[in-house]
Amino acid sequence: MSRIGVFVCWCGENIARTVDVDKVVQASRALPGVRVAEHYKYMCSDPGQALIRDKIVADKLDGVVVASCSPHMHLKTFRRAVANAGLNPYRMEVANVREHCSWVHHDKATATEKAIDLIRMSVAKVHYDHALQPIRVPVTRRALVIGGGVAGIQAALDIADSGYEVVLVERDPSIGGKMAGLSETFPTLDCSQCILTPRMVEAGQRPRIRLHTYSEVESVEGFIGNFEVTIRKKARYVDMVKCTGCGECMKICPLKRTPSEFDFGMGTRPAIYMPFPQAVPARPVVDKNVCAKIIRNGCGLCEKKCAPGAINWQDRDEMIQEKVGAIVVATGYKLYSIGREQKSAKITGYGEYGYGKYKDVIDGLQFERLVSASGPTNGEIKRPSDGKVPQTIVFIACVGSRDNAKGLAYCSKICCMYTAKHTMLYKHKVHSGEAHVFYMDIRAGGKGYDEFVRRAIEQDGAKYYRGRVSKITQEDGKLIVRGADTLAGVPVTVEADMVVLAAAMRPADGIEELAQKLNVGVDEFGFLLESHPKLRPVETNSAGVFICGACHAPKDIPESVAQASAAASKVAVTFAASELTREPEIAKINELTCAACFACVRTCPYHAVERAEIRARNGTLIKYTARVNEGLCMGCGTCVAVCPSKSADIEGFTEEQIYSMVEALA
Amino acid sequence: MSGTIGFEPKIVAFVCNWCTYLGADLAGTARLEYPANVRIIRLPCTGRIDTNLVVKALEIGADAVLVSGCHPGDCHYSAGNYHARRRWMLFRDLLEVVGFDTRRLHFTWISAAEGRKFQQVIMEITEQTRALGPYRPYETEPAQPGASAGTIHPPALARDFAGVRQELRAAARRLLEEGKVKVVIGYGASGPVFITRPEDSEHLEWNEGCLANLTVYLKRPEVRALGAAAVVVKGCDERALVVLEKESQIRREELQVIGVACEGLGQAKCAACDTHVPRFADQIISSTAAQGEAPADGRYADLERFLEKPREERLAYWTAEFDRCLKCYACRQVCPMCYCEKCLADKNRPQAIDSSPHRKGNFAWHLSRAIHLAGRCVGCDECTRACPAGIDLRLLNLALARAAETQFGYRAGMDPAVEPVVGVYSLQDKEEFIQ
Repeated sequence: MSRIGVFVCWCGENIARTVDVDKVVQASRALPGVRVAEHYKYMCSDPGQALIRDKIVADKLDGVVVASCSPHMHLKTFRRAVANAGLNPYRMEVANVREHCSWVHHDKATATEKAIDLIRMSVAKVHYDHALQPIRVPVTRRALVIGGGVAGIQAALDIADSGYEVVLVERDPSIGGKMAGLSETFPTLDCSQCILTPRMVEAGQRPRIRLHTYSEVESVEGFIGNFEVTIRKKARYVDMVKCTGCGECMKICPLKRTPSEFDFGMGTRPAIYMPFPQAVPARPVVDKNVCAKIIRNGCGLCEKKCAPGAINWQDRDEMIQEKVGAIVVATGYKLYSIGREQKSAKITGYGEYGYGKYKDVIDGLQFERLVSASGPTNGEIKRPSDGKVPQTIVFIACVGSRDNAKGLAYCSKICCMYTAKHTMLYKHKVHSGEAHVFYMDIRAGGKGYDEFVRRAIEQDGAKYYRGRVSKITQEDGKLIVRGADTLAGVPVTVEADMVVLAAAMRPADGIEELAQKLNVGVDEFGFLLESHPKLRPVETNSAGVFICGACHAPKDIPESVAQASAAASKVAVTFAASELTREPEIAKINELTCAACFACVRTCPYHAVERAEIRARNGTLIKYTARVNEGLCMGCGTCVAVCPSKSADIEGFTEEQIYSMVEALA
Repeated sequence: MSGTIGFEPKIVAFVCNWCTYLGADLAGTARLEYPANVRIIRLPCTGRIDTNLVVKALEIGADAVLVSGCHPGDCHYSAGNYHARRRWMLFRDLLEVVGFDTRRLHFTWISAAEGRKFQQVIMEITEQTRALGPYRPYETEPAQPGASAGTIHPPALARDFAGVRQELRAAARRLLEEGKVKVVIGYGASGPVFITRPEDSEHLEWNEGCLANLTVYLKRPEVRALGAAAVVVKGCDERALVVLEKESQIRREELQVIGVACEGLGQAKCAACDTHVPRFADQIISSTAAQGEAPADGRYADLERFLEKPREERLAYWTAEFDRCLKCYACRQVCPMCYCEKCLADKNRPQAIDSSPHRKGNFAWHLSRAIHLAGRCVGCDECTRACPAGIDLRLLNLALARAAETQFGYRAGMDPAVEPVVGVYSLQDKEEFIQ
């Protein structure tokens, strides 16, 4: 028989005004197994906790029920109090007689009756509580960072600085991400590569950071503290050790007309190439889709030219395994592809803007490459069609974003800022040029942001029209942009030499497949789902997997960097001890009665249940069973409901407990 | 809960810790008043809530039950509420057939931010239940005997029993002589036979009495101890093999399946059979039978006719049926899908299903068995045939088979490649009863 203590809190008068605490204590004393029942004004206070502790010791209590505020308030408080008295903290239950009783009922008689019922249920429940110990799981103190853009680099550097090894995986031939291709960044107009490349070099040189570029995550097994990751290193056809990065191969390659991915099609590159001169690692790759040697055993000039003999046509994709304890996802973004053709059925394009039809209608990232000093036009803004300097550029904001009709309802956050920046960069280079901006709203909420936009308008003379553009056509080599100025109430037509479309930020290609590999949710737009939008923005519901940067939601560089450091600090927390402790209120399976139908294996949202064998000492198979992985189980109990024999059960909410609570209401 | 004046409904609410419980907390913080009739039981997730819990709440006298959790897509454990939703869709269909008043069962999605919704839901449910009055389903007057559900038995046709018999015996003898199997499980003169010697193949029979579903023996330890097995199956029995393999209970490659193409053996199930010819057997005996198709008025005609009765009549019918139940568990013993080594009905800590043959426990047993067989029962109807009390179990099985087919397009044992109904969810699962 249990020795249970019931402690009823007045909570000042929050409970006591509506619930007759004397009557409740009296009724509690009559419940089966209850040895002691007391009430006190503030049970969570020091004297209140001391009362509980004293009674536990004096009356040798082996279970405690506290009738008070919601367990979401003080469950941990009372667990600690109980543990301090030497009683297992999981032999304690909270009956919510405040939020669920005294605060929502006014009639004293019925509220008191209900409080007694709630305590009766908790007494029945605590009777069956097991004395649980926190679960200890070993930790591999090495982190995986997926994505080598500014967020991934920041996270990798912070984790390395904390003293842990980092494996940084990047699918492009070089780290740097989108930021490496920008010209100047808002609101400071810092040269993007100037502030990024030192970080890139550091990431490449730190002994604790192991860089796998031109590589992708193939699969992830395991759980927090104990992930096993398979990484595919794609074939470069260049020996990374022998190659000196001299660049002779790129000069001699006869195939120079492949559109450059780094320049978003504004420039070209050879078949053997480095994406940009400051690439880390500064080694080229061979594009196997266009290289004549690989396709039809022709050419081979680069091999002949290469003095150290670093070209290796025998190179193949290589699979490597890494063991890590935490994963940070920093896969960044791509821009919404504006043209009519879209890959997803839920998203539609803009045929009316002529993107893809008129060469001089380009998107924001393409314009960055034109403006960039290291870009295909060496920083001179030239029209892609005829190479002339545009005298009039129209910038259109909100292309794809904030548009339910196109399927992307969200605000892309950075476009207002970079559009203002584009007008300024254009005006700085073409003093006589006209910059026209069609906008819906100006979103400039960061530090110095509003001042920045004001500067574009007031100092650099950008013309802003609050209205949308209906259509862009071409006449006599000019792009006719038809829009509206809703503040003035007039239609506006601009004859432009170039149009720059601020296309919405979207998560990078392949995000849904990666999310499935990591068991992380995605929202309807493909962005990765955080645990809690307010309080846990860099954690996911997959323990040990963290997210940062634009893969989570559209955001600018300062926020990406901040989130990356936040994710790194979460990784440091995970690695703080050599063992992880987890709450023990998780599922367990009675292996004797388990019929091995594996409905639980199929059902578990975390893939936390495994198929296992029970063998005799001599190796003969006795039976199959399901077994819960204590590191992965999050304690939802769905396995319990689908188990036909109820061999699956969940600590803290066992079958015995819940049925006893229901029967207590009879 | 003793009301001194008038009837005070007793309402039990099973809620999830992360959404509805916090929503109720928010109602408290905002001091939103509602009647004191509800008792909340906190669970980690709606996925945890078993249908037996709801039945237990009704057994202890709840006048209404509320089950509430996170909105679809917002589950704290990502998918628990999707599994719950599917379970409730099946459960409600079952309760409709059995005649329980589904107005007493409420399902809602209430998020942590919806304190006001929680208040409104509780107020609505309390008032609605007060108006409906106390819920005493177990005090229903049983229907008078002779109130038949109207099952139809097709006429028996003349068949070439002798030919099939010969082929069966030859097939068994061959398998045993070649050492491919150690035991052939087949039909004998008065029950199943387990042939271990080739010469004993003469004991195999084929006639109108070959109704048993022999796949039930594949899991018995005494049979497994004999070694590699061959089993004789009709098309209906074979469906059980598909389900058993999906549930990792048998390995098809270790089994020899001797299929008999039967044209019907005069049972109610035979009229609607579309698997006369076993589809995955290693060999088929007598392939003159056509595959068959569902009758013009549908596979579930008997059930649909039953559902035309008013709800009270349905409950009266089942009360009479279940009152006859002795808890002999013959239905369980004969069912190939009931392979749990320790059945839930035999557990008494806790006792989800009262084991004595009284009304509440009988209802609990049959409801639980039906739900456990949702999407798994292949309709072999052996349970109906085995029941010594003549309970109309076939109608109960049809209830969930129909639910699985109409709601999820699923028929147990038909396609080995299709995911089962339970333990799987779809974002397309549609219902209209969750508020």
